[in-house]
Amino acid sequence: MSEPKASDMVIEGPRRSFWRNLSVVWLVPLLALAVSLFVAWRSFAERGQLITIRFENAAGIVAEDTTLRYRDVVVGVVESVTFTSDLTSVLVRARVDRNVTDSLPQDAAFWVVRPEVSTTRITGLSTVLSGVYIQMSFEPQPGSSATMFTGLDKTPLVEPGKAGTEITLRASTGSSLTAGAPIFHKGIEVGRIEEPRLLASGDGVIVDAFIDAPHDKLLTSATRFWQTSGISVNIGTGGVNLSIGSLASLVRGGLTFDTVFQGGAPIRPEDVFDLYKDEDSARESVFSDTVDNAVDLAVEFEESVNGLSSGAQVTYKGVRVGTVSSLGAIIEETPEGPTVKLRATVSIDPQRLGLPEDTEPEGVIDFVETAVEGGLRARLASPSIFSQSLVVELAEVPDAEPAALLRRGEDLPLIPTVPSDLPDVAARAEGLLNRVDNLPIEELLEQGISTLASIETLAGDEKLRAAPDAFVSLMDDARGLIGGEETQKLPGEINAAIADLRSVVERLVTADAVGKLTAALDAAGEAAESVTGVAGDVGDATAQLPQLVDDLRALTAKANSLEVEDFLAAASAFLEGADRLIDTPAARALPASLTGALDEAREALAELRAGGVVENTNQTLASARDAAAAVQEAAESLPDLSARIQRLVGEAERVVTSYDSQSTFNRETVSALREVRAAAEALSKLARAIERNPNSLLFGR
Amino acid sequence: MNAPVVTARQAGLIGCAQCGKVHRAGAVTCLRCGSDLRPRSAARLQAVWAWLIAGLVVYVPANVYPMLKTSSLGRTTESTILGGVVELMHHGSYGIAGIVFFASIIIPIAKFLAIMFLALSVTRQVRMRHHNRHKLFHVVEFIGRWSMIDVFVVAILASLVQLNFAASIAPGIAAVSFALSVAFTMVSALSFDERLIWDADPVPAE
Repeated sequence: MSEPKASDMVIEGPRRSFWRNLSVVWLVPLLALAVSLFVAWRSFAERGQLITIRFENAAGIVAEDTTLRYRDVVVGVVESVTFTSDLTSVLVRARVDRNVTDSLPQDAAFWVVRPEVSTTRITGLSTVLSGVYIQMSFEPQPGSSATMFTGLDKTPLVEPGKAGTEITLRASTGSSLTAGAPIFHKGIEVGRIEEPRLLASGDGVIVDAFIDAPHDKLLTSATRFWQTSGISVNIGTGGVNLSIGSLASLVRGGLTFDTVFQGGAPIRPEDVFDLYKDEDSARESVFSDTVDNAVDLAVEFEESVNGLSSGAQVTYKGVRVGTVSSLGAIIEETPEGPTVKLRATVSIDPQRLGLPEDTEPEGVIDFVETAVEGGLRARLASPSIFSQSLVVELAEVPDAEPAALLRRGEDLPLIPTVPSDLPDVAARAEGLLNRVDNLPIEELLEQGISTLASIETLAGDEKLRAAPDAFVSLMDDARGLIGGEETQKLPGEINAAIADLRSVVERLVTADAVGKLTAALDAAGEAAESVTGVAGDVGDATAQLPQLVDDLRALTAKANSLEVEDFLAAASAFLEGADRLIDTPAARALPASLTGALDEAREALAELRAGGVVENTNQTLASARDAAAAVQEAAESLPDLSARIQRLVGEAERVVTSYDSQSTFNRETVSALREVRAAAEALSKLARAIERNPNSLLFGR
Repeated sequence: MNAPVVTARQAGLIGCAQCGKVHRAGAVTCLRCGSDLRPRSAARLQAVWAWLIAGLVVYVPANVYPMLKTSSLGRTTESTILGGVVELMHHGSYGIAGIVFFASIIIPIAKFLAIMFLALSVTRQVRMRHHNRHKLFHVVEFIGRWSMIDVFVVAILASLVQLNFAASIAPGIAAVSFALSVAFTMVSALSFDERLIWDADPVPAE
């Protein structure tokens, strides 16, 4: 009943293996995975090396934002900014391109570039908008891969890896040193300096400088640096020196270096150059190199040290052996209370003292101690007569009070001092000029001329010439009676004396300048001595005169007792004898010689007055004084002589007067004797004038 | 309890997936529209899984790598999807942050989970009813195309905001990855044959 119907159709797919079942669409996720993994791997590979930089502060650094740049190309980015565990500084971690980190040396420099405006330059303007970035600079060293660095506080003036030479300068003060100031050589900027920093000892300033290649080849041990800060005015014995640097150096200061002598040795890395305040002192420094093993000693002065300054020389027998390094006042307790002393610290270069280069400070102090025992003392001295500045002089004072080098534990050893014998040049010169000014030269000359004139008048007087005629006969008589040989010698002696005087005057005349004055004065001294001798002789002769007068009295008595004719005959004979005496050539030559001598003397005096007599020197004055003293000595005997002559004339006058007051002979004789007395008076006046002012003979009034 | 229903498959019939014409089993080509007639099989699930896994793989870089590179006045900021959400929240834009988070994080992940659930439900016993699963599938398929909004936004921004130094926006790797991820999940959803939902459990649950 049931119809056959189709059996159920079971459709079964063929069984396939698992792998055959695998659809090709599985390639898609595999591909996606591969691409994703590739991207991941690539970004990981490119992620860069993590480096850590330690900064003092992280102003402006933003994690994930601030970039690291090398030669202004971004090579990395800051990943995090954290503190060190002790919170003293900031650690900046940054991912940096592996190409860079693979050759990043340990001394790579990192600094934050910020906008910066200074007198020298304006930098980092772009960071105003973009924010700061970290600039790195290094000298690539393949293979070295440091990861921990210390960042710089500020932009380095000299980027690492720049060709050139780094040097260190030492200056006494950093006041005019600005970081970034240029260094010039012959006006060309060849480098710059960095920030000055204080020496650990506190007595100086150290500043690093960088000289660009190839100019750094110019540096040798003969190189000196000095400051060229704009304008410098220097007024000294050499005149006014004004030097103006470039406009740039006016604003920011600058240094200049130059080679100051030939043959400098190549510099060594540890060399430190001194920075001098100007070119002159830099060039002088060749002779005053500071040394490393200088020994400091102290010197205390009780007198004013005005003119002594830090940096002044310390000399030993004129050779510089050290420098005054500091100067100050100290208060010292003494039994009388506190007193203020001025203490200078001097640093002595052992080599300059002749000690070996490697002498220990103790050895130098021992040496100085020995020298102090031998009389070495410190004192202030003036280097030259025009200088107001002082130096400390180590001098050997043989007659100094015994003293020893005072060692005082911590303090510097103290060299004993002696008072300085500073020549007060100005005062001395002024005194000399005053004295010259006060010399009555004009008066002396007038007085001398008038004296000479009166002598000339006297010598030229007719009566004086006639006087011998009258007197000589009396003298002849006297000689005929007594026959005193000493009296006969007199004219010759006088003649010789006059010849001597004339030769002196001639030498004075031929000596055309004051330079020969000394010699002339010596000769004058000799002449004065001769005159003194002659005066002595005259004295001797006049000593005989009383005897002669006695004889004359006897003669007069005899004449009184005799007849007049007899007396007249005797008197005539006496006068004839005197006449003969006068007639001798020597006696005749006397007035002429005297006149000539006086003429020459006047000429000499006139020349002296006309010549540059005023240019005295102390020495000349001293010689002149000596000579004047000799002249004075000689002149002192002149009053004696004139007194004796006066006495004699008085005697003779009395004799003649008593004889006959009316006779012509008597009148003549009396007048002659008066003339002689006048002459004697003139002589004594001259002597007094000379005595009052011996120099007037030389210089006039 | 309903009587067991004889399915077309049990009746030895095969329907065209394009035009719906029923053929006898064994037919290879649709007589009406000419498209291939393929019997549905669990092997088709391989494609679903494959595309799904590919979408998951590329979804990782889409979240790890930056979506946008924004340069403004020399500063370049790169922001990932999640980073952008956090940043928006920092700025107080919770609404926008929520939208971005929902559209770019929740939706894609939900899609992954949904497709995964559907694919698993074909071979395993699940408690969800066939109808609900069918609805879920349609929701996933519908949402798929809208997931590209993120990518569209990036593309528009990148092309519009090109003011050189002042501001510029460039798409990051994540944009490409995200687009691929969305595309892969869509393909994955398309590869899923919803008839398998019914095949897996011939007795529909009550």
